[in-house]
Amino acid sequence: MIMRKILINSGEALVENKMRSALTMLGMIIGVMAVILLVSVGTGAKRYITSEFESLGTNMIMLQPGKTDKKAGMGPPVSSSKGKFTMQDVEGLQKRSTTISAISGVMFGAATVKNDLATNNINLLGCNDQFIRIFNMSIIEGNFFTKEDEDSGRRVAVLGYNVRQKLFGSDNALGKLVKINDSEHRVIGIIKPSGDKMGFNMDDMVFIPTRSALRLFNTDRLFGIRVSAKSRAEMDESVKEMTEILKERHNGEEDFTIITQVSMLESMNTILNMLTYALAAIAFISMLVGGIGIMNIMLVSVTERTREIGIRRAVGARRSDILKQFIIEAVVISVSGGLMGIIISMLITYTLYIFLPGFDMRPPFWILPPAFLMSLLTGVIFGVWPARKAAHIQTIDALRYE
Amino acid sequence: MALIELKNIHKFFTMGDEKIHALNDINVNIEEGEFISIVGTSGSGKTTMMNLIGLLDLPTSGDYILDGVKTTAMSDDELSQFRNQKIGFVFQSFNLLPKATALKNVEMPMQYASAYNPKITDEEIRKMALETLDKMGLSTRVHHLPNELSGGQRQRVAIARALVNNPKILLADEPTGALDSKTSEEILNLFEELNHQGVTVIIVTHDNKVASRCRRILRMSDGVVSEEKKA
Repeated sequence: MIMRKILINSGEALVENKMRSALTMLGMIIGVMAVILLVSVGTGAKRYITSEFESLGTNMIMLQPGKTDKKAGMGPPVSSSKGKFTMQDVEGLQKRSTTISAISGVMFGAATVKNDLATNNINLLGCNDQFIRIFNMSIIEGNFFTKEDEDSGRRVAVLGYNVRQKLFGSDNALGKLVKINDSEHRVIGIIKPSGDKMGFNMDDMVFIPTRSALRLFNTDRLFGIRVSAKSRAEMDESVKEMTEILKERHNGEEDFTIITQVSMLESMNTILNMLTYALAAIAFISMLVGGIGIMNIMLVSVTERTREIGIRRAVGARRSDILKQFIIEAVVISVSGGLMGIIISMLITYTLYIFLPGFDMRPPFWILPPAFLMSLLTGVIFGVWPARKAAHIQTIDALRYE
Repeated sequence: MALIELKNIHKFFTMGDEKIHALNDINVNIEEGEFISIVGTSGSGKTTMMNLIGLLDLPTSGDYILDGVKTTAMSDDELSQFRNQKIGFVFQSFNLLPKATALKNVEMPMQYASAYNPKITDEEIRKMALETLDKMGLSTRVHHLPNELSGGQRQRVAIARALVNNPKILLADEPTGALDSKTSEEILNLFEELNHQGVTVIIVTHDNKVASRCRRILRMSDGVVSEEKKA
């Protein structure tokens, strides 16, 4: 019998057993949904983290003191004892490098900030006037500090939005004094809230000029240097150039690490790809369970329909016709389950995306063909054994089977 | 040349430790157009005989020549094709597909026939099935399921299914066993009519009344066949 007819017959057989077909399909629907949704979660997370990284500032390059032999990655531990950046390194780079558009030494530490109304333990960030450009920050009230503020180490402060709210509530903050570790600073600006960025929340920080920060912590040792390259194309050149300049300044020793966004993204992507694969592997198991469900039902179906098989064989069906019939029934179940799984997971993710645009778990299109193929293959693989059993039933026994 | 030639047929079964000699040196010829019955008590070997003639089972030894072709050397696929095209089966318990309509049941053998002969179209299958059902007087029952039909109607659907591929042989196993006497009579009349149209009819039965309707009777006993002269 030709394929088309077997297909029609299989369809009819499945409709005749609606409940059973639907339940078997459910296993497949869940399997395919698991594959698509888990891969979507993986790629969605990757997409989210990549965009977060990029929002940290384009063309950003991080210079950290200390050196590990391992290439790239996230750089050496912050407290690395070897190597040291000073304000002179920043000035040297600024003067000699031709590929950078902005550079700032950064000083990072915990401090208490208080005024008449409240006291807060916050993260203090010392930086210069260019920092705001490197990190794509913007000001909603007042101004960021100027080059003069930085050069003379004035006691001025720019507050993150949350800090401003905690200290001043609805009052005006500009021009007020705050005590940072007992040294009075004047508030000159407020940063526009930008939310959490890779665990750093600028809104919870207080920014003061680098020199003021160094004085406050009584050190000449910078936490690191942040640079913005002129363009993405010049990143590699910029890294090379800065390495040369700094080596020269550090007696020919490369006691620092330069991390670009690209290298950070790469190592991040490696982790996220692993996550996606791990999720896909978990999803594969649910597919397997769906397949075993199909096999189970098909075996039951073969036994139940022993007499039908006998009748078909008596009127002229070959073993191969019976084999095809049962494999195709299994495939029809698995493929329709697979298609429904695809449709349902698309509906879920797109509905979520429409109502919560920040929650973008839309499945990548490359997953759809493999998901479909996997459901097809599951049907074939788990349909073969029951179908072979059906094809080898003895006709005379089958005709008398009760 | 006879339509069916059985030569030195033996059939053995093993049931547990016991070896059963179900058919013992059967030599029978059946000509085209005969109306014949195979009778015998249960265990006499008549069912085994029917399975062999219907190509549902193979003899342990001996030759079976059907329509000039030696079937004992055939592959399973070739046997399937022969069953499809030369033989129509009618069973005691009808053996209709319970979830398929009368029409679908009758179409089924032709669908398998279309695998051997791709020229048969769906339209021809539908037309032939409807015609055959009409001949059986079932034109108003075409879309009914078997459980919506009476016993006589079901058996007529089964006969339509057996005839739809224009087989040479109609092989009926206790065709009236599940029917009342009036319906049995109708079915036997139908067989007679089909025989007049040229179909070779073989009825396997234990019922002497049924057998007496046939022009030739083969009596089975302990695996041996004997010709019974009609009184």
